[in-house]
Amino acid sequence: MARIEIDGKTYEVEAGKTLIEITDAHGIEIPRFCYHKKLSVAASCRMCLVDVANAPKPLPACATPVWDGMKIQTRSPRAINAQKAVMEFLLINHPLDCPICDQGGECELQDVAVAYGKDRTRFIEEKRIVIDKNIGALISTAFTRCIHCTRCVRFGEEIAGVKELGATQRGDHMRIDTYMTDTVNSELSGNVIDLCPVGALTAKPSRFAARPWELHTAHGIAPHDAFGSHLEFHIRRNQVMRVVPRENVALNEVWLSDRDRFSYQGLYAQDRLTAPMIKKDGQWQTVDWESALLFAAEGLKKIPAKQLGGLASATATVEELYLLQKLLRGLGSNNIDHRLQQVDFSEKTTKAPFLNQRPADLAQADVVLLVCANLRKQQPLLNHRLRQAVLHNHAEVIRINVYDYPQNFPVSHNLTVAPHQLVATLAGIAKALDEAQPAFKNIEISEQQRAIAACLQKNNKKIKVLLGEAADNLPQLASIRTLTALIAKLTFATFSETGRYANSAGAILAGALPQQTLAGQAISGETGLNAQQMLSQSLQAYVLLGFEPELDSIMGATALQTLQNAPFVVAINGFCTEAMQGYANVLLPMALFAETSGTYVNNSGDWQRFTAAVAPVGSARPAWKILRVLANLLDVHDFAYTASDEILNEVKMLCETSAQTVEDSTWVLSAPQALCYLTEPAIYAGDALVRRATALQATADAQACHGAHVNQRTADKLRLSAGQQVKLSQNGGSAILPLVIDAALADDCVLVYTGLAESAGLAHDVGTIDLTAA
Amino acid sequence: MFKQHVKSLLLLELLKGLRLTGRYLFAKKFTVQYPEEKTPMSPRFRGQHALRRYDNGEERCIACKLCEAVCPALAITIEAAERADGTRRTTRYDIDLYKCIFCGFCEEACPVDAIVETRHFEYHGEQAGDLLMTKEKLLALGDKLSDEISRDRASDAPYR
Amino acid sequence: MANQVCFKFKQHNQAESWTLAAYQALGGYKVIKKILNEKIAPETLIAELKTSALRGRGGAGFSTGLKWSFMLPRDEAARERMKGVQKYIVCNSDEGEPGTCKDRDILRYNPHALIEGMMIAGYTIGASKGYNYIRGEFWQPYQRFETAIAEAYKAGLLGENILNTGFDFDLYTHLGAGAYICGEETALLESIEGKKGQPRFKPPFPASYGLYGQPTTINNTETLSSVPSILANSGEWFLNLGKPNNGGEKLFSVSGHVERPANYEIPMGTPFADLLNMAGGVWQGRKLKAVIPGGSSTPVLKAEIAMKMNMDYDSIAAAGSMLGAGSVIIMDDSTDMVKTLARLAHFYYDESCGQCTPCREGTGWLTRILHRILHGEGRPEDLELLDNVSNQIMGNTICALGDAAAMPVISFIKNFREEFQYYIEHGRSMVG
Repeated sequence: MARIEIDGKTYEVEAGKTLIEITDAHGIEIPRFCYHKKLSVAASCRMCLVDVANAPKPLPACATPVWDGMKIQTRSPRAINAQKAVMEFLLINHPLDCPICDQGGECELQDVAVAYGKDRTRFIEEKRIVIDKNIGALISTAFTRCIHCTRCVRFGEEIAGVKELGATQRGDHMRIDTYMTDTVNSELSGNVIDLCPVGALTAKPSRFAARPWELHTAHGIAPHDAFGSHLEFHIRRNQVMRVVPRENVALNEVWLSDRDRFSYQGLYAQDRLTAPMIKKDGQWQTVDWESALLFAAEGLKKIPAKQLGGLASATATVEELYLLQKLLRGLGSNNIDHRLQQVDFSEKTTKAPFLNQRPADLAQADVVLLVCANLRKQQPLLNHRLRQAVLHNHAEVIRINVYDYPQNFPVSHNLTVAPHQLVATLAGIAKALDEAQPAFKNIEISEQQRAIAACLQKNNKKIKVLLGEAADNLPQLASIRTLTALIAKLTFATFSETGRYANSAGAILAGALPQQTLAGQAISGETGLNAQQMLSQSLQAYVLLGFEPELDSIMGATALQTLQNAPFVVAINGFCTEAMQGYANVLLPMALFAETSGTYVNNSGDWQRFTAAVAPVGSARPAWKILRVLANLLDVHDFAYTASDEILNEVKMLCETSAQTVEDSTWVLSAPQALCYLTEPAIYAGDALVRRATALQATADAQACHGAHVNQRTADKLRLSAGQQVKLSQNGGSAILPLVIDAALADDCVLVYTGLAESAGLAHDVGTIDLTAA
Repeated sequence: MFKQHVKSLLLLELLKGLRLTGRYLFAKKFTVQYPEEKTPMSPRFRGQHALRRYDNGEERCIACKLCEAVCPALAITIEAAERADGTRRTTRYDIDLYKCIFCGFCEEACPVDAIVETRHFEYHGEQAGDLLMTKEKLLALGDKLSDEISRDRASDAPYR
Repeated sequence: MANQVCFKFKQHNQAESWTLAAYQALGGYKVIKKILNEKIAPETLIAELKTSALRGRGGAGFSTGLKWSFMLPRDEAARERMKGVQKYIVCNSDEGEPGTCKDRDILRYNPHALIEGMMIAGYTIGASKGYNYIRGEFWQPYQRFETAIAEAYKAGLLGENILNTGFDFDLYTHLGAGAYICGEETALLESIEGKKGQPRFKPPFPASYGLYGQPTTINNTETLSSVPSILANSGEWFLNLGKPNNGGEKLFSVSGHVERPANYEIPMGTPFADLLNMAGGVWQGRKLKAVIPGGSSTPVLKAEIAMKMNMDYDSIAAAGSMLGAGSVIIMDDSTDMVKTLARLAHFYYDESCGQCTPCREGTGWLTRILHRILHGEGRPEDLELLDNVSNQIMGNTICALGDAAAMPVISFIKNFREEFQYYIEHGRSMVG
């Protein structure tokens, strides 16, 4: 502890902290530009100079640690003179183009200039002009406005882990520029917009659209990954104009991924469904809600319960998923599922994917085993925590993947194997940890597997085993999960699963599964059909919740075909596509994220409730209301909800009081394949909303997801070359795509991303795939 | 007593009053015969609004929305967007003259002298909506009165 | 007496004084051999240096003995902690200050003195690795120094287990790329690490967080080169060469309007007039107008004040300037002070690293104002503005470059105000 005096008042503070941390905590105002609490200290803007007794010159508060007996004056003539001097210097070359600057009204320079600037300039020379640069679809630049605080540069080095922006040249000529590539491609790049204290870096999608003073804010929860970042909507005239992070120490800190930041564009997509529609005599007509719901209820009433199926996207809220399963089960059908990306349904019970620890705990890890996890692109902020562990805790990271996902920290072991080798690899590691187990009799252990096992066997170390979202797409899911959990058990590690969607965990807890209901309780009687079965064998009627079969389902073409064959389909969706009009009989417009209240359960286990920030577009309604009325019309009991909270309380109560019994599953080695087909959702096409965010589609990450990916050896073997149009065909589905050579793949694998129109014609089949020149 | 009688007999007070009337009857007249005659007007007169252009024909307004923010009657509505050439422009600029109180704050807030209040005050609307000034109408008025507005700005410049 | 420390070879008129043989002929490497063989305690060496009152020759004038003592563990606990920690000794040969060229000549004519000095420093502070950061433009000195290192390695004076004493010392040369700011010690460290040359904020000081984050001592070339001579004789001997608190001899680079511009190694405290005489007086018999006593960043002095001062830290400070790196710039009465200042200001404007706001923006502003005055567009209020802007830069930056840019402006205007006023009024120089 240290006793210091600031402006004549005495404070008891923690010694060694910097002065600005203390003044911030006590609400004492010190102007600053380069300082940011989550970044390293540069001490270069010199705006935070304060007067410290006995110091020969003013000291920067951001870089000066406090000591016992320190006397600080933040308002003495010496401090004020230094601050005013710096302010004048900052303004001499700053263009006073506030009226056309998007930062105007929320600009740190503007704010500080009001307090410390003069109203007349003494600078009559010509101002500096810096030519702008197009650095991508998300960030627009005006480098003349830059005040060289280097927050964006430090962000790249310290948080994003890619040095994309840097300060080139020196002195007066110093400018912020891209180093290696021409664009900023980080999945966290949008954060530099928040960091920039002036209007040098602003958001391109919302460029010139609104002024800060016109906006009001509302809280929300990010709808894309299972991390569940907190965010803030900036709303004008009932329209979301932009999305920014809301500080949450436990989760996203002050950051937000680009996907969560810019996906709001999808809310105002051209194909937004704004009014209920029904198909009568093959003609689509817009009708009022009452007729549409009656039409849907009439249609569903005619169908025998067993012939009724319900499919939902895992981006739906807990309330919506719960009501959907309650509705179907109330009608007598257990055919309900949300696992649209899964191909292996051999596990008897499904557990909600949880980290079983706080994200902050991951930052304290010593050894981390990542299996099938594309953390950097799929859950950038969880990856950020892991990166902190590597940088500050010197954690060793071991990665075992089917695709060598990009990474932004050093990794001690990095294995990329074909899916069929994955089980053998994990079994090898498990055997190296416990050779005595009879199940491993025929497993051979490679040197590397032994080294990995040695790495994981450390006493008094925090060991974490993390099963990622990419395992869902593999036919060996059950075996991978069993073995990974076993490795975790043998190494006394924390076993975590990341989950993929915003509500992957919530969907399971809400009971949107054919074999188990709320809180993982097994159903009595016959289990229903799972997503794969429902989408391959035609039922007579379906209720779809926020689900686009050809893009959301891993079975693409097959799913679409099946639905087209179904006599009656009720689609509750935020959008209206041609495909939807082809298979659906009723289209019910639902409110999307930001327009509805609900709850997501993230992978940290937080039940995150949110309320509607804006009124839904057109006459769209929250899906829970649609389902409630539908249930009422179908005479299903216990559907008298008046608010989404009532539904949540019902779900939560049951989840808190009951425990799930999990059946052990086994593992089997898988047979090798001639050409192995790999797939996963493209980074910016994982759900209906983000697919329609146009700016994100123009990013390098999104562009990299196009085409059929093989490595050079596989291409040579198949006598194909990069850029060539190739035809992929399997089980009746096919697609023609350009060939992309991708060194991140293992041999004899072809990777095609789902969620894209170009690959919608493919029907995932674990068996075979043909790849030929088109 | 007698004096008062004489006064009332001779109607002296009436004549006194009539003298004043007579004086004004022949004096110089101040009444303005509007609309044939008009009073002189200050260059600062706050009449109907107009949007100005630069000499090269480019509209001045840069969609900074300061006028919208300052308007006490909430009469101004602006939508902004990036024009094809990358500049910041309005896609909508409405002034609801029913709401406007002609305080002139919009003029004062404008950093580029785009929105101005002209000397033009003789206008009317025949049906609802006529007095909702759109960007096109405002620009058209600005074009029509451009010389007069420029002259007024110039004459007032020393005092601003 | 002169040429007793770094320029000892001059006394003996040695040819090829930069070779190992020539250095050893004058008793070179005897000191380090003695230290290594007798295992003299670092504390003893530091005490000797403190006695000598050797002060940093790079410009700041910080006591060398004191600086080295920061690297020694304070107590047993610290000694335990420091075990196995890699420390570094770094020599700053990035001699970029306009007017100075002394280190260049040490590297050219007496590189082995520097090598020995760095070895002694390495031994004293416990560093097994040394870096010499040489200015990018110094190609011949760089080659000479590299050759000297090779010779020393060949003779077993560098490398592992030197002279079977168990002392390891490796020496590397790093050639800069021409940035003046890399002469600032922490920018120099950044540059060696392969980063952009930008000064670091202090604290932490290099003694605790230096090169690659390790404890590091950085000394000027002349400082390190003086160490062997001091220890060969004694601290007392060195102190007596000069004056109390201003020990020894020092190299003065005399440049500008003199007959014989060169480096002169003379005792501290020598009157300026004597130094001027040594350099042959003001050239072409002209009159002395002004002197910058310590390199372009130190305040300029008028002739009459300069003629009364002695060449040591304290006397020059009393005269209102600084000894700096000992680079004496002589200006005769034909010098246009406005143009001179504009040139100096442009130098600092060009060399500012751009990190701190006051220096980045302020140097540019000063330069622009001065160039405007040169173009005959000066305004009377510009002098006030120049002074004010300079004071706004002073003391508000991370490193001393901001001060270095501001001090000449303040002193030029203070001492030669009428010249500036004349220029502003008439649009041309007073001196024609």
